[in-house]
Amino acid sequence: MHNNLTDIELIEQTLAGNQSAYADLVKRHQRFVFTLALRFAKGREDAEEIAQDCFIKAYRSLSSFQQQSKFSTWLYSIVYTTAMTFLRKKKLNIDSIDADESYIQIESKPSGYDEYNVENKSRSYYLNQAIEQLLPDDATIITMFYKGEQSLEEIARAMGIEANTVKVKLFRARQRLKEKLERNLKNEVKELI
Amino acid sequence: MNSIKEKLWNYIDGTLPAADMQTIALLIEQDEVYRTKYNELLQLNSELNTMELDEPPMAFTYNVMETIRAEKAMNPLKATINKRIITSIAAFFIITIAAMLVYVMSTANLSAGASGFKMPVELNFKTVNLSYYFSGTVIKGFLFFDVVMGLFLLDNYLRRKTLAKGQ
Repeated sequence: MHNNLTDIELIEQTLAGNQSAYADLVKRHQRFVFTLALRFAKGREDAEEIAQDCFIKAYRSLSSFQQQSKFSTWLYSIVYTTAMTFLRKKKLNIDSIDADESYIQIESKPSGYDEYNVENKSRSYYLNQAIEQLLPDDATIITMFYKGEQSLEEIARAMGIEANTVKVKLFRARQRLKEKLERNLKNEVKELI
Repeated sequence: MNSIKEKLWNYIDGTLPAADMQTIALLIEQDEVYRTKYNELLQLNSELNTMELDEPPMAFTYNVMETIRAEKAMNPLKATINKRIITSIAAFFIITIAAMLVYVMSTANLSAGASGFKMPVELNFKTVNLSYYFSGTVIKGFLFFDVVMGLFLLDNYLRRKTLAKGQ
């Protein structure tokens, strides 16, 4: 295990032929990459396929990583392009994923979740539900900003857009998230009454 | 209202200039609308900060590494040949040729003599009879074999080129 090594040190070891160093790099980033993939794919199997594909692509082009940005930023740009290609291949209509018309079944429920026991549903459950209902771009920006330790500039680099655009998108995404969260909670209360 | 929210989000994210940060802080303290909105957004912000990431399947890393290993194993031989082997073979031939040249140069009599240099009769092309050298059956056979091999290699090369163009 190379837990105390930085990403760059692990990359150097991988390039020197040490494959276990790359396995550690995968372990370090797999949760975030998988979560990002889920923001696009909405199904665990597809998300796993996207995430695996990303790590394999990253391995193939590891020698071309210039170290001008964080490894995570570089990896997330691969996730973004791979996920977009996946969506195009699957011919999913991204715009129709808006939950105003149709609710998407959430496959990743927290462990011990009881569907019929509303009391057990924590606020974080509703938050995850609302994020799942966002457009992939909105969900990705929110996830990268809050869980990926990425600045607006780094998100912009990963998504191939301007930092100012990311700022505007982040603001709108949080607004939509808040609205969806409130609506979901209202619906839940209505069902109870 | 949107502009209030925008200002408050920028305040929470800390992306405002210092002077604007102070202004917003004062507004939150004094204005009820700002304070209520700020508390709402702050709660959402803290919830987003503590949201959990999804866990991939247990064998995720193993699957990735297995795919990489399989891909490496499938690489064609010519791509995996160590370049050092090729370099050492080339070096062996270069050294052998160089050693032969040094040996020949050291044993050859290079003194042209006082009377000046004269081309040996054997090297005078005017007097050389080429049919004398190429008359042997073995030589003819060797040359024929060379021509056939050359044509075979040319054919092989052209076939590969056509195939590559087709792809």
